Amino acid sequence: MLYGLEYVLVVNKNTAIDSLNVLQIRSIFLKKQTMMNELELVPINLPALHEARRSFETNVLDMSQSRLKSYWVKQHYQGHRPPLTMKSFQGLKAFIKNVDGAIGYIPSDAMDSSLKQVYRWSQ
Amino acid sequence: MSKFLLALIFALTVVIADEGDKYTLGEGVKIPDIPLYVGGYISTDYTYFNEQKHNRYSIDDIAFLAYGNINKFSYLAELEYKEFYVKEWGTADSSQKHTELLVERIFATYNIDDNYKVELGKFNSPIGFWNLTPINVLRETSSKPQSSVLLFPKYTTGINLEYTHFLDYEVKINLLLQENNDLDDKYNNFDIDALYAFGLEYGRSDFHVRIDGGYFHSKQALLQCRDISYLLTSFKLDREKYQLMGEIGTQFFRDKMIVPHAGYLQGVYRLSEKHALISRLESYERYELFGDKENRIQDAIAIFGYTYRPLYPVAFKAEYQFHSQEDQERALFSFSVLF
Repeated sequence: MLYGLEYVLVVNKNTAIDSLNVLQIRSIFLKKQTMMNELELVPINLPALHEARRSFETNVLDMSQSRLKSYWVKQHYQGHRPPLTMKSFQGLKAFIKNVDGAIGYIPSDAMDSSLKQVYRWSQ
Repeated sequence: MSKFLLALIFALTVVIADEGDKYTLGEGVKIPDIPLYVGGYISTDYTYFNEQKHNRYSIDDIAFLAYGNINKFSYLAELEYKEFYVKEWGTADSSQKHTELLVERIFATYNIDDNYKVELGKFNSPIGFWNLTPINVLRETSSKPQSSVLLFPKYTTGINLEYTHFLDYEVKINLLLQENNDLDDKYNNFDIDALYAFGLEYGRSDFHVRIDGGYFHSKQALLQCRDISYLLTSFKLDREKYQLMGEIGTQFFRDKMIVPHAGYLQGVYRLSEKHALISRLESYERYELFGDKENRIQDAIAIFGYTYRPLYPVAFKAEYQFHSQEDQERALFSFSVLF
C-alpha cells in the first residue's frame, strides 16, 4: 500500500485534546510532559528506520536520530523510558483506538472517524 | 561485598542474555512481568599531574540503577561503589579500595496533574544544568567544573515540588525542602541537615536559561559559618552540531563571601556522531580556613578535550587542563559505560 507524504498526529477521538503546537508535541514525545487535561499521555513511535518516524523526527521534533539516542541514554539515568514502539500503522491505530491518551502519527490518507487529528505536516 | 557485586553483574548478564536482540546498550533492561528496569554504569580514569610527575588511576564509579513506574507513580534507586579502587604513584605511592555500597539516589515521584509533580527521597538537586547529568559517561569531559562542587549540595534528601508549563515556551519552577540529615551523608559534597531552595527555568526551542538560589545548614562550619546561601545562574544552548553551556554562582553567609565566584563556559563541537571536541574555561575564588587564618584560593582553568563514543553510552575521553595555580596542570583519560 502506498501512502502520501502528508502525515497527521492523531489521538483517540474521545480524548479532550483538539490541537497541539510543535513545542507541546516535542514535550510529549520527549516525555517532559506526561499528562494533559488530567489524562496520562502515551506517545507511540514506529520502528527507528520507518519513513514516517524519520519524517516526524526531522520535521516535527527537529532532532536527528543520534541526538535522540543521546537524549534517551541521559533519560535512562533519570529513570525515564523512550516511547513505546509499534511495528506498523495498523498496530499503532489499533492501540490509539483502545487507549485514551495514546498519541501517534500516521499518513493523512489512513485517517478514519475513530481518530482525531491534532497536528499535520508534509514531508 | 565483592561477592554481592559479582552476583549482581551475573544476574544482569543473565537478564540481558534473556532479552536477546531487544536489549539496547544505555537503556537498561526490563525485568519481565513487573514494573522494573535495571541498569548501571562504570567509570575508570587516569590522571597525570604534569609538574609533580604524579599519577593517579581510579575505578571511580560502579553503580546500579533500578526504576519503574505505575500509573502516576514512579521510583528510582541507585547504589554505588564510590572510588572503588584508587592507586597513586610518583611523588607518593598509595593504594585504596572502598567496598562500601552507598546510596546515591532513592526517590519516588508522583505526577499530581498536568503541571505539578512531587519527588520525595534522595535525588540530584535540580540546581543548574550540570548537576542533573553529573556522571562521567553523560558528561562531555572526564573532569567536572569546580562550580558544580563548591556552591550547593549536589544531593537533596527531602521534597522537590516541580511546576512545568509547555505552550509556546517552557517554564519550570522547583521548590526544594530538606529538614533532616542526608540519607547517606558520605555521599554529598556538603554534610547538611537543612535546605530551602528555589529554581526558575525558561526555555524556548534549544535555548534554556535558569536561576537558582537557596539556603542550607552545614553540619561542618565553612569559615566558621553554618548557615550558607548560594545563587547560581545558568544557560544552555543545544544545537545539532554544537552545544554551549555556562554557569556562574556565588556562596555567602550574610555579607561574608565564602565563594565570591565560581563559574565556567563550555563549548562542545560535534565533528560527527562519534567524535566531539570540547573546550571549557573555568574560574573560581574561594576562602578556606587554615588554623585561624582565612586563605584566599583562586584559579583560572582552560580545558581542551576530545571524546570518542563508538556508541553513545560508551565514552573514551582525553583532556588537558591548564591552571593559573602552580602545580595543577594535568592530563586526564577516562573510559565509561552506561548499561
